[in-house]
Amino acid sequence: MISGARQAEPSWFHRLVARAMARRLTVFVVPGPDVARAYGLDIEAAGLQVVDTPRHAGVLLLIGDPPKGLREAAAVANAQMPRPRAIFAVGAGDVSPLPEPDLLVDMNQEDVAAGVEELRRSFAAGAFAPETEDFEAEVVREDEDDEGEMDPGHMHHDSDEEEDESDDGEDEGDQNDQDLDEPEEKEVGEDQLEDFMSMIEMTEGMPASGDGLIMEWVPAAYGPLFPGLPGGLSLVFTLDGDTVAETEVEPGIEGHSPVEILYGPVERIAERAAKLDSLTPVSYGLLIQRAIESTSGTRIGEEEALSRVGALERERAASHLGWAASFGFLIGDRSLSRGAGRLQIALLQAANVGEVGRIKGDVEDFVHKTLRTPLLGSKLGGIGIVDGSGAENAIGPVARAAGFETDARSEDPAYQDLGFAPVVRDGNDALTRFQLRLEEIRQSLNLVLEAGAMAATGSTDSDDSSGTGTATVETPRGMAALRVTLEDGMVTNVQLDAPSMCNVRLVETVTMGKEVADALAGVGSLDLSPWEMSG
Amino acid sequence: MLQTVFVALFGIAAIWFGVVVFTTSSMVRSALALLFSQTAVGAMFLAMQAEFLGVLQIMMMATEMSIMAIFMVMYMMDPGGLMGMDMTHQKRLSQAAGVLGALVVIGIVFLAGWGSIAGSVPPGQQVHDLGIELMERSMLIFETAGITILTAMIATIAVALERRR
Amino acid sequence: MSTAIVILALLAGAYVVAVLEGWAATGRFQPAGPALDAVALLGRESVVTRSSDRIFFEVGPVLLLISALLAAAVLPLAPGLIITDLATGALFVNAALAYVMVALLMAGWGPDGVYAMVGGWRFLGQLVGYSMLIVMPLTTVAMRAESLFTTRIVESQGAMWNVVFQPLGFVLFFLAALAVCFLPPFDLPTAPGELAGGVMSEYTGARLGIMRLARMVLVVTLSVTVTVFFLGGWLGPVLPPWAWTLGKSLVVAAAMLFAGRYVPRVREEHFLQWCWKYGIPLALINILYVGIVLLVVGK
Repeated sequence: MISGARQAEPSWFHRLVARAMARRLTVFVVPGPDVARAYGLDIEAAGLQVVDTPRHAGVLLLIGDPPKGLREAAAVANAQMPRPRAIFAVGAGDVSPLPEPDLLVDMNQEDVAAGVEELRRSFAAGAFAPETEDFEAEVVREDEDDEGEMDPGHMHHDSDEEEDESDDGEDEGDQNDQDLDEPEEKEVGEDQLEDFMSMIEMTEGMPASGDGLIMEWVPAAYGPLFPGLPGGLSLVFTLDGDTVAETEVEPGIEGHSPVEILYGPVERIAERAAKLDSLTPVSYGLLIQRAIESTSGTRIGEEEALSRVGALERERAASHLGWAASFGFLIGDRSLSRGAGRLQIALLQAANVGEVGRIKGDVEDFVHKTLRTPLLGSKLGGIGIVDGSGAENAIGPVARAAGFETDARSEDPAYQDLGFAPVVRDGNDALTRFQLRLEEIRQSLNLVLEAGAMAATGSTDSDDSSGTGTATVETPRGMAALRVTLEDGMVTNVQLDAPSMCNVRLVETVTMGKEVADALAGVGSLDLSPWEMSG
Repeated sequence: MLQTVFVALFGIAAIWFGVVVFTTSSMVRSALALLFSQTAVGAMFLAMQAEFLGVLQIMMMATEMSIMAIFMVMYMMDPGGLMGMDMTHQKRLSQAAGVLGALVVIGIVFLAGWGSIAGSVPPGQQVHDLGIELMERSMLIFETAGITILTAMIATIAVALERRR
Repeated sequence: MSTAIVILALLAGAYVVAVLEGWAATGRFQPAGPALDAVALLGRESVVTRSSDRIFFEVGPVLLLISALLAAAVLPLAPGLIITDLATGALFVNAALAYVMVALLMAGWGPDGVYAMVGGWRFLGQLVGYSMLIVMPLTTVAMRAESLFTTRIVESQGAMWNVVFQPLGFVLFFLAALAVCFLPPFDLPTAPGELAGGVMSEYTGARLGIMRLARMVLVVTLSVTVTVFFLGGWLGPVLPPWAWTLGKSLVVAAAMLFAGRYVPRVREEHFLQWCWKYGIPLALINILYVGIVLLVVGK
């Protein structure tokens, strides 16, 4: 319900303000602008202005069908938005605990643009409607109740001078004198607060940072709707000043289980697999396709294989461009963020290889210009380094940026025919991963043009087959492996090894002890997708 | 007459902010209250037509007190003051020292020979005179002060680095 | 009278700069944008966070606006068009700009939110970096003018603008000016990608409007400062003096807004390192250089 803050009859002032608001709609995107771009939606072109905090937004934009965890986070964001506010759902289903969306449209650009126009009309007309309702939701109330109480420590009355490993030598000396000078004051008046506040005693037992300074550690939530990180990724940093002291990352999104999505009849499984990770639907569709084909031992023709290569590579280029857009926003490079976003949408909307060829020139220019961005080296150099064993266990571009030549495409005969060699760099930091992914964009577009086709077809007939099959696919984030068991045409057992589950283990290495901006850049450089993680 | 009113107003503001420094339990409020107290003193200088001194006071105190604010946040628990702890101690000694200090200062104010009061000095002339003073009579003072501060900075950094090793 | 004109000019300049900023950020030129935004903000619910430090929360944006206006009060837009021609004008600009930092500290500490707090203290770190770089070039400018009057500083550039006379000082001052108004790549306190808006993240409605207005006025003030100190203020042939100031300030403001679009945000530790290891020695060299030139060659 588009509701104003007060119940009042709209006056001329309110009408003026409402019309101004309608012209400049600001929107907070759930789960994130990266998901919107992955669906091919250009929000800015539709007339909405994306902001990065719900407090500046007037419209909550829900993309796709958010799982329960995200809906609850969106409810909190909705409560934080100042009224008048509206909820604009694109292709969404059930949105509880949020209130009913003010507008619901299908998932395509024209409908979204038309929806925006309609939203403008609603705002201009009803932004200060006399009926206002408060937004009550269980999840918001819970959040209010357990806001972290800061525990500043206890006040001790004992006069032991502990030999403390604290480096504040001068303070300790003063305290010694103090306690000797005024021993009697402690008996006088129990209601009187203690005479001397000993910082050492008060901070006893509190965790100390690396330099010995004991400060209060503040938990800071970075997700799941944080604008710089992949939408849906839940990080909680415990900040010691502006350095990360502890990290907690939630593997996956509550209410979204990638494995359970795949259970069911074999018939429409490709569609279901595409919903597994809306950022890379083609890769997962292909993965399940191959797994099913391996159960029945079907072989596919060369043309079909090339076509699949084209589809997969197109998605890889689009995914890397989308990552570059998010990452550019994270590191504060606006032109990178906008350029990459535009190219990603154009690439996803390309209908055939010819159009991809036309975009290729722009992409080449973009990659060339981006690699030469001044100060990029100093911003990203040495950030997000994954040491020794961590790098060995990494997967995908993260591993390839550490010098390991792990790429599932090297095993694929279709790729071998095209003369594929994985891009490998030796640097193991965020800058190397950035450069590597840009190189891979170039490589992928070349592969698409060489393959000549990019439709991933191949149907899964419901032929009551049974058996077990495995398949691997090099998704844009790394190798994904799937093992599926069929029984009479029903998928009964699924084992999925998603690349993000492997890379998420690196989050702690990459963030501990780092300044928060560097920690976020490190996490961003890992290119995690919370949708393919299973909790 | 107007000048006296302004000087009095700014003086009262300085004192009031100074009292806030001790009555509030929030570290940051305390630091910023001291900042505004010093700004009021700077404004007093401006009202007394000591323009350069006033502007300098206002400028430097802003930076200095803010740095003090962050040090208080770093070293003290509960910098926000929400737990309402009483951060004053050695109350009797402080009160005695304060009263004594005030008496001494008031004594100096009334007993020292300040010379004749200049009617009005054009601010441009003030800046010029200050510059000449710096370059002639007070050069040694400022040079040594500058070198001392620089030495202190370098020593602090050296001491801090050594500990981490 | 001139007070009113100067303030109106500042607000008009702030509007133009807001349009420019919108253009730089979104790539679209929308002249009515800031006006609509301002009106829309007025109608938004004003949210106060729980357990906020109310005084700081309210005073922060207002202090930001006041400090920007105070700094602009001593800058001449044309001969005679100045709010107050202080004898210590050049120093007063710096004194007023110091309160930008106090305002951001308040805005960071006030809302009782992590993002705002980190943003606010980060700006203090940024100040430790830029504060020397914004004062030292002023020294050389005052050396040439032999006065701290801003009007005399402009007049001293009659033969040659300071940007040509002391280019090093100009570059340092320009970068420091970018850091003062926390424009990208120095937008550490409001980092959109890292801190979700930082110090501005918890403000809504009219307070957010004041904060944004204050930021725009700050950009205008600093553009005029750069113009007055280094680009010869109102000096120039043919056109009336105020047109020259206007034109030069616009060019500087556009440069400030568009410069940071193509570059990632600077890292805090690098900023401090570069300012102290390279910036200050360069500023000292600049002082030495200008001093020698003034003594040997004359003004």
